[in-house]
Amino acid sequence: MPGLQVPLEHVLMMAAALFIAGLVGLMVRRNIIFILMSLEVMLNASALAFVAAGAHWGQADGQIIFMLILTVAAAEVSVGLGLVLLLQRRFKTLDMDNANRLRD
Amino acid sequence: MNLAAMQGLLPLLVLGLGAAVLMLQISIRRQLGWSYAITVATLLLGAAAMEPAMQVAPLQVTPLLRVDNLGLFFGSLFCLSGAVTAVISRDYLRSREGENEEYFLLLLLSTLGAVILAYSTHVAALLLGLELLSVALYALIAYPERGTLPLEAAIKYLVLSGAASATLLFGFALIYAALGSLEYAEIAVQISAGRAATSPALILMGAAMVFAGLGFKLSVVPFHMWTPDVYEGAPAPISGFLAGVSKGAVFIAVLRWFLESGFFQYSSLLAGITLLSIASILVGNLLALLQTNVKRILAYSSIAHLGYLLIVLVAAGVSPEPGLAVEAGGYYVVAYVITTLAAFSLLGLISRQSGDREYDQLSDLAGLFWKQPGLAALFTVALLSLAGIPLTAGFIGKFYLISAGVDAALWGLLAALVIGSAIGIFYYLRIIYTMTTVGEQANPGTTADMLVGSRLVVYLLIFAMLYLGIVPEPLMGYLRTIL
Repeated sequence: MPGLQVPLEHVLMMAAALFIAGLVGLMVRRNIIFILMSLEVMLNASALAFVAAGAHWGQADGQIIFMLILTVAAAEVSVGLGLVLLLQRRFKTLDMDNANRLRD
Repeated sequence: MNLAAMQGLLPLLVLGLGAAVLMLQISIRRQLGWSYAITVATLLLGAAAMEPAMQVAPLQVTPLLRVDNLGLFFGSLFCLSGAVTAVISRDYLRSREGENEEYFLLLLLSTLGAVILAYSTHVAALLLGLELLSVALYALIAYPERGTLPLEAAIKYLVLSGAASATLLFGFALIYAALGSLEYAEIAVQISAGRAATSPALILMGAAMVFAGLGFKLSVVPFHMWTPDVYEGAPAPISGFLAGVSKGAVFIAVLRWFLESGFFQYSSLLAGITLLSIASILVGNLLALLQTNVKRILAYSSIAHLGYLLIVLVAAGVSPEPGLAVEAGGYYVVAYVITTLAAFSLLGLISRQSGDREYDQLSDLAGLFWKQPGLAALFTVALLSLAGIPLTAGFIGKFYLISAGVDAALWGLLAALVIGSAIGIFYYLRIIYTMTTVGEQANPGTTADMLVGSRLVVYLLIFAMLYLGIVPEPLMGYLRTIL
């Protein structure tokens, strides 16, 4: 069935709520794994908004961008997890507060 | 895809092919000399491939990419900058143990991302270019194993840059929801057709989020917090690449998005950019005064320089004829990229990695004029160009910006630019002054043991800087014909 079955505004609000949840998580969490998870939530929130908008206009573009975002997020997180391993090896902790030697 | 399209995309094809060849070479036999040679050759070929590509320009290849003179010119600038970074890195990595071949692979991929950004006319191309550029950079920042600073810098950059990408994408999703298009030119058509009137709030919010995301990558105030930390932690050649190529490429992408999708008709967006510009100029210059680490000073100075560049966007939006502003922006980007690369390259050569830290404190530079007059003199030229002293490229760039600003009657921004430049001269001169004082700090890097390649590259950069400052007309004329 073509088109979006629910009002576009509702999906966008849902996506915005997810985005804000991710942003808050990014800022308050100190554990690097949770920070990376929050980042994923933010990226997926924008992907959801793209899918909804694509369905609203009856175009495939939204879903294609969704797939691109998925790929990009995977690349980003795989590099991120590599850095997490290094962090654990050097600092013996995953707490970002221990990695704060760079400051004014 | 026909032959003309292939010809137009030749620079991208060359870079992609070079990356594949390099990957094969590493997997067959590790040999740093070969990896280095392949990287530099690929980047130079990529820059040279602009010539055949220009014959078919302008040409739209799929909705994603457009081959035009703007993209080709800056694409070749980024290729050459990547080659400069590779040459300097070779010298910088000499003392590093272990496997360094992938460093060059990552550098090549990152440059490819920058070139794609210069070509992009579609959200998908923007996303791919941006991520190719940044994901390779995360690994490059963390590459050296000295101490923990590079790792910390890489994680900070990864988290903030990821958040910036998500913000950018959400903004584009909102614009897509309102207008139903991802292509810049199509967005402009929809806006002028009045479709924007049905949901102006959605579009404005989307545009603001896109700008916030790109502002992170450009490190304009208030999205600048990561910049000094990351530049300090990253290896000096990579800091130069981040400050020069990464910011330059994102700026070109912003310029394209802004001009082609017609967002400059929103005066509230222009007012926001004006505020960001003034804040970047003042905050960047004032905080640079407080630093004692040369890399941090250069980081804050790059924040201020991006503030100056934002004037171009406002001027292009306000004045009825955006040609002059775009031309000024193009010239400023060229001058800025060359100068920043030169400054960071020289700093990398002066503070060649040894032990667990770089020699990048202001006090490490004390007495440099007496110990290594050559390096110190070249570094002085780079700093003077950053400060915008006459006879250097930085001066002409600033002059151009001022004339674009006067043309568009942006008096507030011009006042900020003048005040910022005045403050700037103070901290650049402070570095030069420190180099003339007599100090006893040990400093290992000497001009004598620089590799031939890096010496050549540094001389070329300084020459380009002085040439553009003394004889600016050829580049000005060229930019006028292509923009």
